[in-house]
Amino acid sequence: MRSCSWRCDCTEHDLAKDRTISRLREKLHSLLEQTKKAEPTKPLKPPLPTIYVITPTYARLVQKAELTRLSHTFLLVPQLHWIVVEDSPHRTGLVSEFLSHSGLAFTHLHVATPHERKLQEGDPSWLKPRGAEQRNEGLRWLRENIRSQEGGVIYFADDDNTYSLQLFEEMRWTQRVSVWPVGLVGGMRYERPIVEQGHVVRFHTGWRPSRPFPLDMAGFAVSLRLVLANPEARFDGDAPMGFLESSFLQSLVTMEELEPKADLCTKVLVWHTRTEKPKMKREEAMQKQGLGSDPAVEV
Amino acid sequence: MPKRRDILAIVLIVLPWTLLITVWHQSAIAPLLAIRKACHHLVKEIFIIPERLAVRRHRLADDRAEGRREAGQGADSKEYCSSDKDIVEVVRTEYVYTRPPPWSDVLPTIHVVTPTYSRPVQKAELTRLANTFLHVPNLHWILVEDAQRRTPLVSRLLRETGLNYTHLNVETPRNYKLRGDARDPRIPRGTMQRNLALRWLRETFSPNSTQPGIVYFADDDNTYSLELFEEMRSTRKVSVWPVAFVGGLRYESPKVNAAGKVYGWKTVFDPHRPFAIDMAGFAVNLRLILFKPQAYFKLRGVKGGYQESSLLRELVTLNDLEPKAANCTKILVWHTRTEKPVLVNEGKKGFTDPNVEI
Repeated sequence: MRSCSWRCDCTEHDLAKDRTISRLREKLHSLLEQTKKAEPTKPLKPPLPTIYVITPTYARLVQKAELTRLSHTFLLVPQLHWIVVEDSPHRTGLVSEFLSHSGLAFTHLHVATPHERKLQEGDPSWLKPRGAEQRNEGLRWLRENIRSQEGGVIYFADDDNTYSLQLFEEMRWTQRVSVWPVGLVGGMRYERPIVEQGHVVRFHTGWRPSRPFPLDMAGFAVSLRLVLANPEARFDGDAPMGFLESSFLQSLVTMEELEPKADLCTKVLVWHTRTEKPKMKREEAMQKQGLGSDPAVEV
Repeated sequence: MPKRRDILAIVLIVLPWTLLITVWHQSAIAPLLAIRKACHHLVKEIFIIPERLAVRRHRLADDRAEGRREAGQGADSKEYCSSDKDIVEVVRTEYVYTRPPPWSDVLPTIHVVTPTYSRPVQKAELTRLANTFLHVPNLHWILVEDAQRRTPLVSRLLRETGLNYTHLNVETPRNYKLRGDARDPRIPRGTMQRNLALRWLRETFSPNSTQPGIVYFADDDNTYSLELFEEMRSTRKVSVWPVAFVGGLRYESPKVNAAGKVYGWKTVFDPHRPFAIDMAGFAVNLRLILFKPQAYFKLRGVKGGYQESSLLRELVTLNDLEPKAANCTKILVWHTRTEKPVLVNEGKKGFTDPNVEI
């Protein structure tokens, strides 16, 4: 215990207190030194990189149901930011209301697909690539609003797929582009990259394996840093069938650089589920008679 | 002055403790840093107090990734010290099933009965269903497989969710007259499984038990809002609400009069059924199930759309029904159906590795 040499007011009554104070000051000083050593110059960073999920969506009967069950999954993932992009000339009330009550951190965007690119009634779903404009809009927002030092990863999650919670932890530390299997896609139980000695060497796919990146939108994630470093990278809405993913990835990464996840691409953590269009024959018949269900009741 | 010195003393006592706690927190990483010093390993810890650990090792040499999986807790005690100077990244990932919410002593338990059967989309359906249930307090999932024995896929899935569950199974007898794996078409799908769950509930809970509970039949391909579960929690006998996408309509709904009583059914398909309601559109108080032990879903001879009535007429009258969801004006559950995936490229012999679970 040092004497309080730097104090000149040492009366008998205050000596003990002064000693305590000086002791505590020393302790404080040493702890401050320790703190500085433990975390040298950097400010306290957020513990997890943010996962930016870009989801294109469009109005149809099952939209609210799809978004609802999707939000339940996302609510369980820490540091997730949901970017919902409506295929619409304006934000709809349904999606606005839904997002504000979802409990998630979100950004609500919209851009309408040009008419010639839209699927017409009766077109098979694979005829035209969908969601390109909306995903590009999500990328634009990120480029304008997020700084690259913040780290993070971007994932394109369609609103009818099914995602396990494990998937998000697999993608979170992506350095460039990470990949993994996708279930129920390409006419097969699953499609996946083939990994040898830690690298993707080719792709196990049911359709046109010669594509630059024959994988599904749900089968990869891109680091934010890489996207910000490549301001021209975007989805080509005019790309031929099945080449949408390649149109984006080929300007960002080579196959050798891909980071295989999900146990070297042997586990299925995401499924390309599709929801049936509900049968509305009776509803249509009723509406013809002027007896349709109350349109004010939102489904 | 003595007072100022006292204050200063108190501040100087509290401040080091605050700093100490901060440093202690950061020094939770310290043991790992010690390992780093010992073995030239780079350790990145994501969660400090993980419940479920999966330790994955990647060798990052020249920016190449190579993985070797070592699962389970306690793997950290076997830290790998490579003689070559590769940087090994140990990533501790806590799979985020840290919910469900803590069990409450006051909330009635919601027993959710889900029949399920093996098909390609099964794991996906159960996964997203579990992700919904993980938000609901006091939920008990009774999953009943239509199978001869409980499958590893479902067992593993249930275990990993962290939900409170009971795993049962009963196989619907096959119709040997029909080709292939067809079940007896006279028995509506899921009936035997739901009945098994009812029997299990009656064997597990006594009518005198004070444990309040609600029973809800939730098929594995529907979509449920979280609000729905809170609506049904206050069920005294049987509560009802609208369901979207059933009966060929945007939604079907009970008809509720000004007095708040159900007096009919807003459906096109046979609105004169005793209970013209979908399985997803009602919930029953557990007490009622226990007091009427003879009430089951009728197995055979049930016309399409009458399954629900076959149970409910044994339990309540129309007058007893409690309308929920703002007097049956809001949609809180959707009868979604998942498309059967096209597996053409599997061919006759199967193209993908059958050992990879989907």
